[in-house]
Amino acid sequence: MAEKWRTEKKRPKIKVLPWPAIPPPTVDEVYAGVDEKKKAYSLWVESAVRQQFNADKPESLDGLRVLDCTANQIIGHWCSSHFSELGAEVIMVEPTGGDPLRKLTPFGREEYMFTAANGEKCGARFLAEARNKLSVTLNVETKEGQDLLKKIIPQVDLLIENAPPGHYDKLGIGYRQLSEINPRLVYLWVGERGQWGPLKDQPGAMDPVGQNAMGFTHGTGAPVAFGGTPTRSGWWLADQVGGTFAAMGAMAALFAREKFLGTGQFVECTAAEGVMRIIDYNWGWHGMDGSVRPRYGNWDLAINIYAVNPCADGQIMVGGGHDRLWFRIWRTVGKDRPELEQHICEDPKLRVVTDRLPHYMQVETYTTMCDWTKDKTRAQCEKALQEEEVASGGVSFLDEVCEFPHYKYRGHIEICDDNNYGKVLLGASSFIGMNTPGRIKWIGRTVGQDNEDVYRRLAGLDREKLKALRKGGVI
Amino acid sequence: MTAAVSKNLKDMTFEDFCRTVFDTTKRYDKPETLKGVRVISTTQYILGPSCANYLAELGAETIKVELPKRGEPMRHTTPFNEPFLYPLSRWMPDKGTGLGFFGANANEYFLSLDFHKPEAIQIMKRLAAKSDVFAENYRAGTFDRWGIGGRQHLKVNPRVIYQWMGGFGGWGPGRNRASYDILGQAQGGCFSITGWHKEYGGMPSKQTIWIMDYWGGAISAFNIMACLYWRDNVSGKGNFLEYSQVHGAQRHLTDLIALYGKTGIVAQRFGNWEPLLCVHGILKCGKSSYPNSKNPQEQEVGFCLVSAYKDEDFANLCKIVNRPDLAKQYPTHADRVGADAQTAIYPELEKWAADKTKEQVWEECKKAGIVSQPVWNSKEVSAQEHYHLRGSLAWIDDPTFGDVQTQVHPALMSETPPRCRWVFKPVGADNEYILAKLCGYSGSHIAELEQKEII
Repeated sequence: MAEKWRTEKKRPKIKVLPWPAIPPPTVDEVYAGVDEKKKAYSLWVESAVRQQFNADKPESLDGLRVLDCTANQIIGHWCSSHFSELGAEVIMVEPTGGDPLRKLTPFGREEYMFTAANGEKCGARFLAEARNKLSVTLNVETKEGQDLLKKIIPQVDLLIENAPPGHYDKLGIGYRQLSEINPRLVYLWVGERGQWGPLKDQPGAMDPVGQNAMGFTHGTGAPVAFGGTPTRSGWWLADQVGGTFAAMGAMAALFAREKFLGTGQFVECTAAEGVMRIIDYNWGWHGMDGSVRPRYGNWDLAINIYAVNPCADGQIMVGGGHDRLWFRIWRTVGKDRPELEQHICEDPKLRVVTDRLPHYMQVETYTTMCDWTKDKTRAQCEKALQEEEVASGGVSFLDEVCEFPHYKYRGHIEICDDNNYGKVLLGASSFIGMNTPGRIKWIGRTVGQDNEDVYRRLAGLDREKLKALRKGGVI
Repeated sequence: MTAAVSKNLKDMTFEDFCRTVFDTTKRYDKPETLKGVRVISTTQYILGPSCANYLAELGAETIKVELPKRGEPMRHTTPFNEPFLYPLSRWMPDKGTGLGFFGANANEYFLSLDFHKPEAIQIMKRLAAKSDVFAENYRAGTFDRWGIGGRQHLKVNPRVIYQWMGGFGGWGPGRNRASYDILGQAQGGCFSITGWHKEYGGMPSKQTIWIMDYWGGAISAFNIMACLYWRDNVSGKGNFLEYSQVHGAQRHLTDLIALYGKTGIVAQRFGNWEPLLCVHGILKCGKSSYPNSKNPQEQEVGFCLVSAYKDEDFANLCKIVNRPDLAKQYPTHADRVGADAQTAIYPELEKWAADKTKEQVWEECKKAGIVSQPVWNSKEVSAQEHYHLRGSLAWIDDPTFGDVQTQVHPALMSETPPRCRWVFKPVGADNEYILAKLCGYSGSHIAELEQKEII
C-alpha cells in the first residue's frame, strides 16, 4: 500500500484514559455479605483458575512447534493463536516485507497503528493475533526459500498455509512432498470455501466471502418488511469461527498421531464450512420442507421472549422463553405498568409457551414490552429484570465492554506489557483452567525479528548464509 | 493410506489428490480420532451440548444426560413452532423434538436421569469415575453442592477433565447473573459493530446464529483436546476448566479492544462495507434472481460481495463498471480506504449493479478474475454440490428419523475424519445400554429405576 494516508475531515482529539478507568472491584467487595458456605465454591474456583498464578503453571502444548505460513487472511493466524496461547512455539512465516495484514488499519488511519521500538508500524488487526508468536520471513517462491522450509520441516509438528489451491503442491512444498520428509507432520490448509471442489478459492479471497457463501449474511439483519437487508458480521466472523474449527481439526490430528496413528495427516478447514457447522437448524429445516431460513432481525424464530429491543438510551436484551421466566418478566413490567402485564397475561392466545412463537404473537409481545422499556435506560431495565433473576443486559459498546467490572475482574481483558509495542489492551485467552491455563506472554514481533534465532536454531545457518539469503531476498 | 504417499497419489493432479484423500464415501474405512475417549455431558441449550457434540463427531463416546420425559429445553424449541422430528421419546410418541436440538447433539448416547433423586447422583458418580471428560453447564456450584462437581470427581478420578460452561462463570461480580447467547452478544459488544450505521438507517444487529454458544463450545472442545493431549503425553493429570459465555465476545473483538486501549476510539458499525479494505463490500444488486417465486425470501433483490482492494483489481473493476474515472480518482488503496472515499465509491458501484441479479454480478466479476461471492440463502447453499462433495453438508440415513440433511464437522482429515452417525435420538434412548455397560445394572433394576421415575 502506498504510504499516502488520506486525511479526512478533521477528526476530534480523543482523551485516552488509562485502562482501567475505574479499578475492578476487590475480592472483598465482590463477596461482601455472602455467607461462608455460599462463597466457598466461588473462592475455590477463583483460587484454582486466577490468571495471576498462570506463570507458575505448565502449558498444555509446550513442546509443539507450529509453522504458520498463512498471509493476508485472518483464519490462519486466528487458528495458530489457539496453539500459541496454550504454549506451542508458533512461528509466523511471513513473505519478505511482512504479511500485508500488518498494514491494515481502519480507514487507513496511521494514528491507529501500533509502533514497535524500532519504529515499525503494525495495525491492530494483525497485532492482536500475533500473540506469543515468533516472526520470520521467507520467500517460498524461490528455490532457496523452498529448500530452507524443507530443511526445517523435520522439526515441525504442524504447518498451516492458505496459499491458492494447489500452489504449495506446485512449488514442491505441499502435503505430498513434505509428508515424505516428515511423516509425522500435520499439514493444515485454511481458506474461505476450499482448496478443491467446484467452488474452490480464488487467490485473495477473504472474509466475508465465507459469510456470504454459507447463508450467514442472508440471515443477519432485519427482514425487508422491517427495512432491513442482508448484513455481514461487523468482524471477520467466518474466518474466526473457521479458524477455531481448523485448530480443532489440527489438534485432533496431533492427538491421533500420539495416540495410535504415528503419522501426521492432511487437514483442511474453511471459513464457510466452519460457520455452516454452527448455523443452527438451517440445513435440517430446509431438508424437511424446503423452508428458507428468513432474517428475523434482533428477535428469534424459535423463542419468545428472546430478543434485543430499543429502550431509552440504546437497546436492551431480555430473554426467557419458558413459563417461569415469562411470568417473571411480566411481573417486572407490571411493577411500573400493571396494564401491560395484564394485557399480556390475560391474553388467551399467549398463555401456552408454544402459542407465543408465531410472528404476530411476537409482534404483540415486543410491542408491549417496548412500551415499558422506552422510558427506561439500559441500566434501569437491567436492574429491574435482574431483581427477578431474568437474563437481561444492555447492548454495550466497546468502551463499556472494556470497563465492564465482571470482565475486568475475571481477566477477560488484560494489558500485555510488551517489549516491542508497549502496553496493549487485549482480549485474553479463552482457556481459563486450573492446571494449564492459557496466557499471553508477548504481543508480537516486528517483521522477521526472529530470522536469526529461528534459522540458526532450526536450520543451522551461520552468519554468512544468513547474509546471503537476506541479500538474495529469500528472507 | 499413510503419510508415505503411494506412487499413484503422487502422480495425480492436486484436485484429484484432494478428492481421493478427503473422499467422504471412505469415511467409515478410517479410524476415529477420539475413539476410546468417554465424555459425560450434562448440558443443556447450545453452549455445553455443542462442545460435547464436536467431541462426539471426532469419535468420542459421548453420553448425554438429560431429564426424563421432556428431555432438555432445546427439544421444545423450533422455528415458529412448526417443524418437529418424531418421536420425542418412546413414552411420548405423539410429541416431537424441535429443530433447536439440531446441530448440537449428533452421535451421542442419550441417558435420562432425574438429578433430584439420590440414586441418580450415585449413577452420576459412577459415570464420572469411568470418564475422560465431564462437561456440565448447571448454575456454577450446583454440582459441587450435590457432590458431583469438579472437586469431587477429580479426587476419585484424577485423570478427568472437568469442563464447566455457562453464562458469567462461578466467580466475579456477575457470577449470579443468568445468561443466554444473545446476552453474550449484546453485552460483549458483538451487536455494537454489526449492522448499518444510524445515518444509513441501521441499528446494532444480532448475528443470525447462536454464535457465542456455538463458538464457546468449539473453543472449549479445542481446550479439552489440548488437556487430553497434556494428560496422555505429559502429566497423566486431569484438569478443571471454566468457560464463561460472555468471554467469547472479548476474544473475538480483541483487535477493537486493542484499538480502544490505544486511541480511545469506540468502533462503530459500518454495514456491509469494510473499514480495513476497499473495495471489499457487499453490493445491492437491483434484481431478484427468482422474481416469480412465491417465497418472499426469494423475491428479495440480490446481494453480492465484490472484493477488489488491490490496485490492479480495482482498475479492472472500474473497467467492468465502465467508470475509468473512478480508477483515476482513487488509484491507490490509501485513496480508497478512507471513510469519505468508501461512502463515495460504493453507491457508484451499486448503480452498475442496479439492473443485475447477484448471479450476473458474480459472473462478470469471475470473468475479470475479481473475487466475488453472492449472498446465498439456506436453499441456495443446500443446492451447492461443493459442500455435499466435501461432506460438510450431507444427507444421512438417520436410524431414527430417516433421511435428514445435516451439517457435519467442517475439519476435513485425510486419516481420521470426523463423521455424523445420527443427528440425535429420542429422550432416554440409550438408558438400557449405558446403565448395563457402565453401571452393571440388570434389566429388572433398570425397569425399577424407570418405574421410580429416576430415569
